[in-house]
Amino acid sequence: MYKSWGWSNVRERKEEDEERGEKEWGEDTAVISPQDPTLLIGSSLQATCSVHGDTPGATAEGLYWTLNGRRLPPELSRMLNASTMALALANLNGSRQQSGDNLVCHARDGSILAGSCLYVGLPPEKPFNISCWSRNMKDLTCRWTPGTHGETFLHTNYSLKYKLRWYGQDNTCEEYHTVGPHSCHIPKDLALFTPYEIWVEATNRLGSARSDVLTLDILDVVTTDPPPDVHVSRVGGLEDQLSVRWVSPPALKDFLFQAKYQIRYRVEDSVDWKVVDDVSNQTSCRLAGLKPGTVYFVQVRCNPFGIYGSKKAGIWSEWSHPTAASTPRSERPGPGGGACEPRGGEPSSGPVRRELKQFLGWLKKHAYCSNLSFRLYDQWRAWMQKSHKTRNQVLPDKL
Amino acid sequence: MSRREGSLEDPQADSSASPLPHLEAKIQQTHSLARLLTKYAEQLLQEYVQHQGDPFGLPGFSPPRLPVADLSDPAPGHAGLPVPERLRLDAAALAALPPLLDVVRRLQGELNPLALRLLGRLEDAARQVRALGAAVEAVLAALGAESRGPRPEPAAAAVAAATASAGVFPAKVLGFRVCGLYLEWVSRTEADLGQLAPGGPA
Repeated sequence: MYKSWGWSNVRERKEEDEERGEKEWGEDTAVISPQDPTLLIGSSLQATCSVHGDTPGATAEGLYWTLNGRRLPPELSRMLNASTMALALANLNGSRQQSGDNLVCHARDGSILAGSCLYVGLPPEKPFNISCWSRNMKDLTCRWTPGTHGETFLHTNYSLKYKLRWYGQDNTCEEYHTVGPHSCHIPKDLALFTPYEIWVEATNRLGSARSDVLTLDILDVVTTDPPPDVHVSRVGGLEDQLSVRWVSPPALKDFLFQAKYQIRYRVEDSVDWKVVDDVSNQTSCRLAGLKPGTVYFVQVRCNPFGIYGSKKAGIWSEWSHPTAASTPRSERPGPGGGACEPRGGEPSSGPVRRELKQFLGWLKKHAYCSNLSFRLYDQWRAWMQKSHKTRNQVLPDKL
Repeated sequence: MSRREGSLEDPQADSSASPLPHLEAKIQQTHSLARLLTKYAEQLLQEYVQHQGDPFGLPGFSPPRLPVADLSDPAPGHAGLPVPERLRLDAAALAALPPLLDVVRRLQGELNPLALRLLGRLEDAARQVRALGAAVEAVLAALGAESRGPRPEPAAAAVAAATASAGVFPAKVLGFRVCGLYLEWVSRTEADLGQLAPGGPA
């Protein structure tokens, strides 16, 4: 009738207890000293189990100890007197569970007389490597590393504190574990244009430690959302190019005068991304030197550099969701891949292409019709491809 | 209603009114709830012992049976009582459990503050057993067999204070005991309601 939970049936155990004449626990049994001690790893412990003398037959004869359910060797115990059994443990290991190791004193028949929980561990080390970022200047999230060794074997409480540098009281962050076990999120009421001091305090039963103070201005650690509405499309019939367009992240779009963007793209069945850097302050880009007839995945991210005049680098957003598009098919093998603005020295760029690029770069700076130049270039390339196909059609006849 | 062992037929009931289908549905529903909570209680106990460390999770672990205010194990003769009486005892136990589960939750909040799933289960258990207790009371009321007399004020606060001062190991044992009692009583309630549910033992 009673269901087992995997190791013992409640009703069966009750009946065994009653057969054994199990006593109810209370003041009539025994007491372990010390109760719930806290100890450093590697230290020793002397404990005693004293049976209450007013219980008939109460004696320390036959008592034994277990630690976390394992019986301890008898040579570690000795009787101090008729009612007290002593235990000596040396070189203690770190506690197996944060609620404490269970040191239990048993009567000869195995019944539990008393228990004490040992807390064996290390004091916390100084937390370090605090890093923080603000999403759209509205909040602040910080992460830290707990200490060079990390594991203290004791429950260690970490508290992120912050205050305005020149005035104000200490505040304590309240939303923990937002981006990992050692992180905290401050959702609101943050000032701009004034530095904050931020630090982490670690406390456990064996002591406390405090990190160095990090000083920052919210504006220097701003990140934002990935650019929305990323569209990737073909460039007419050009088989080695794709056009990428996106929108400035809306939360900061009125402030992103100097924003930087990065694009990365990869072939559908590859894990290797190619990154296009330095896409400054524009919301479109053309990828060139791609393989014809190939599906590409493209992502874009934004760095709100220079927001409100901040001189700091800013923090890159997450990548946008991948957007896919394919280049038109071609009968002739295409180049291996390229970048938004092909750089000099790329193996796929021949000398003619390099010179043309330089010419177009000069035109962009000095000519009013630079856009026209690019359009003319594209038309010229399309014409070149078409005429190449025509020559190929002719060639077999000649053979 | 067909005759069953411990039948609840009341000769004074108006058999021409038909609350029967509604009552049977209520019993069935409460029985299903008790079955679900029995499963949850097993899971709670498993989760609990994991966080206390051995010997709590070891087969044959048998700590001293700490007296728990307001609540004891089902008596050996419980199954031999008439069903209404069994259900009254079930309801009384279910009413005593929530404050004790709250005490255990508070103690575990200090001993195992990072054991969020355990703490969540303890909080859910208190809420769920309250609901089951209310459902059993409703069945008793529908059967005209409500609990007799007022219940004593829960002494959970006293339990908490006494345990906190006794040390960590007694606190762990108390939680083990309360989780065990929770499992026993919801399991007992499931069995007792099963006697009444349609298709129950004749």
